[in-house]
Amino acid sequence: MSALLEIKQLHAGIPDKPILNGLSLSINPGEVHAIMGPNGSGKSTLSYVLSGKSGYEINGGSMLFDGQELAEMTPEARAIAGLFLAFQYPLEIPGVTNMTFLKTSLNAIRRGRGEDEMDAASFLRLARAKSKALGMDDDMLRRQLNVGFSGGEKKRNEILQMAMLEPKLAILDETDSGLDIDALKTVAEGVNALRSPERGMLVITHYQRLLDFIKPDVVHVMAKGQIVKSGGPELALELEKSGYAEYSGGTEAPAGGREAHA
Amino acid sequence: MRNIVAAPRPPLGDAKPMLDAQTHFEQIRDRLPGDLQARAAHLAAAEAVGLPTRRVESWHYTDLARLLKSGQATPVQAVDFSSVDAVLAHFEDGVLQAPPQAEGLEIAPFAGAISSAEAPSSAYVMAPAHVMADYNQALAQNGLLAEISGPLAPPLVVRTSGAENVHLAHHIHLAAGAKAVLVDDHMATGYANVVWDITLGEGAELTVLRSQQAGHQVGLSRVSLAAGARYKSVAMVSGGALARHEAHVTLKAAQAHAELHSAVLGHGLSKASTHADFTYTIEHQAADTSSNTSAYNVLDGHARGVFQGKIIVRPDAQRVDAQMQTRAMMLSEGAEMDAKPELEIYADDVVCAHGSAIGELDRDALFFLRSRGLDEATARHLLVAAFLEQVTSHIDETGLSEIMRGLVDTKINALLGNPSI
Repeated sequence: MSALLEIKQLHAGIPDKPILNGLSLSINPGEVHAIMGPNGSGKSTLSYVLSGKSGYEINGGSMLFDGQELAEMTPEARAIAGLFLAFQYPLEIPGVTNMTFLKTSLNAIRRGRGEDEMDAASFLRLARAKSKALGMDDDMLRRQLNVGFSGGEKKRNEILQMAMLEPKLAILDETDSGLDIDALKTVAEGVNALRSPERGMLVITHYQRLLDFIKPDVVHVMAKGQIVKSGGPELALELEKSGYAEYSGGTEAPAGGREAHA
Repeated sequence: MRNIVAAPRPPLGDAKPMLDAQTHFEQIRDRLPGDLQARAAHLAAAEAVGLPTRRVESWHYTDLARLLKSGQATPVQAVDFSSVDAVLAHFEDGVLQAPPQAEGLEIAPFAGAISSAEAPSSAYVMAPAHVMADYNQALAQNGLLAEISGPLAPPLVVRTSGAENVHLAHHIHLAAGAKAVLVDDHMATGYANVVWDITLGEGAELTVLRSQQAGHQVGLSRVSLAAGARYKSVAMVSGGALARHEAHVTLKAAQAHAELHSAVLGHGLSKASTHADFTYTIEHQAADTSSNTSAYNVLDGHARGVFQGKIIVRPDAQRVDAQMQTRAMMLSEGAEMDAKPELEIYADDVVCAHGSAIGELDRDALFFLRSRGLDEATARHLLVAAFLEQVTSHIDETGLSEIMRGLVDTKINALLGNPSI
C-alpha cells in the first residue's frame, strides 16, 4: 500500500528561522495519527506548510501527498487534491453567509476535480443533512461566516466544512483548544463519523484529552521541529503523566493539564 | 450582466472642464427659469468667496480646483431598473426627458432653486456657509420638485446623465406618514453641482439609494426630519474623478432616525483615479433621536477616500444614540484614505460612539478561503464583496438590493478581473 502522505526530511521555517528540522512522517489511508508536543515545537507550522500558507520557506526534503509534491501546489490545488486543514482559530468573515461560503467552496472543489457543480437544491439538502448530524441548526447556515459563533460553534463549523468537502487527508490543528468538554465530545463525534478506510487524519494537539475521544492509531511526539518518538495510543497516556520536559528540556506542564485560557 | 444595459449615448473623449461660473451664467441666462436678479445675487455672493480651497476645513482633503481638472471621460453603462418597475426622472444634460408619473407623487414645474426652507443652524454646522449651494441657486437650470403625499409604490429613479456642466436643485417633500424609495443614479460624465433639499414630515420614511459611476459631482443633501421620521441613505461610488457627497441631516423631534451608509470602490491611476468624499454633519436637535453612519472604502491604484463625519448633540437632546463607523481596505500602496469622525456632544445622557479602521486585504482570510478550494482571484473577489456587503445589506427592498449588489459585483469584476464565481 502506498502512503497517503509521505513527509521525508522536511526542513522549513520563516526567513532566518528554521522551525521544522528534518521531519519525517508517513500516513496510510485509514490511519489516524496524532502529533503531540510542547508549545513552539513546530506543530502548527507543520499544518501550515502542508496546506500552503504563504510566509514559510521550504528548505529541503519532500512532502508527497497521493504521489504529488505539495510544495509545488497552490493552497487551492491542495484542497482540490483532497487535503483539508481544520483551523486552530477559524476566521470570521462578515458579509458572507456560511451557506454562500460552503457552496462556493464545494463547487470550486468539484470544478477542480472535473465534476459538475452542485445545483442549489441538492446543495441545500446536503448542507442541512450534514449540519444536522453535527447538531447545528439551520440558523448557523444562514448566519455570516463564524461571526458571533462561540468557540464550539466555530470548531463544529470547521468539521462541517470537512464533512462537506470529504477530503482524503484531514489535518486537525488544535481542534480541542478553547472547547469545553461537551463541545469537545460533539466535535470528536463529528470527526469520528468521518473516519473511513480511505481517509487519513492528522490530529495535532498539545493535550492528551482530545485523544480520549478521537482514538489514534499512531502517536508521535514532536520537539524542536522533528518527530522524536512514535508509538501506539499508550504513548499519549505516558505523556500525560510525565509531561514534555524530557523532550523540550524545559519545565513544560504535563500533557494532561488544562490550558490556562480554555 | 443582467442588470446592465447600454447607455443611450456613451460619452467619449476628454471630460469637459468646469466652466467659469460667470461665463456659464452668461451663456445660459436666457434659458434659466425664475428670478434672474436673485440668481445674480447668489452668483455675486458665491464669486465673492470663490470655490472652496483646502484652507476651508471641510474641504481640507478635497482639492476642488485640482480635481476639477482631473479625470477622463469613460463610457458608463446605465443601471437597469426595469425589474422593479421604477418611475424615471431622467435629466440628460440638465433637461428632464419626461416628468415621472405615479400615484401619490406630484411634480411641480421648476422655477429656480428655492431657498432652503431652513438654513442649517450656523452655530453648529461646519463653517463657512455653502458657497457651492450659492452657485447652485444661481445656475440651477432644472430640478425635481416632488411632493409625496402617501406611500409611493414604485421607486423613483432620478437619473443624471450627459457631459455638459449642470446645476440641479431638487426638492423632495414627504408629507406626514408618506413613504418612498428614491434612487439617485448619477452617470453624468461632466461637472454636476446637485443640491437635494429633503424634508420629512411626521412619521415619513425615505430611503435614498445613490450610485455614482463617473464624472465630477459636488452633491449636497440637506435633510430635515420631523418626529418619528426615518431617513436612510445607502450610497455607492464606483467611479468618477470627483464624488463629493455632503450631507447635513437635522433630527428635529423625538424618534427621528437617520442612517447614512456609503461604499466606495475606488480605482485608477493618477489623474484618472477616483476621489470619493463623504462629508456629513448630523445634528441631533431633539431628545430621543438616533443616527447610524457607516463608510466602507475599497481603494486601489491611486484612489483616495475621504470620510468626515460630525455628530452634534444639542444640550437638551438627551437619550440620543449615535453611531459612526468608518473602514477602509487598501488594495495598493498608492491609495489613500482620510477619515475624520468627530463628536460634539452638549448633552450628558447619550450613547455615542465612533470608530475607524484602515487595513489591507486580510492575508489570513485569503489563505483560509484558498485552503477551501477557491482560487486567489475568487477569494479576493469574495473578500471585497463581503466587505462592501456591510453597506449593501442595509438595502431592505428586494429587487433594488439585487440590482445594487449586481452593480457592486460588476464593478469588483472590472477591478479584480473576472473570477469564476
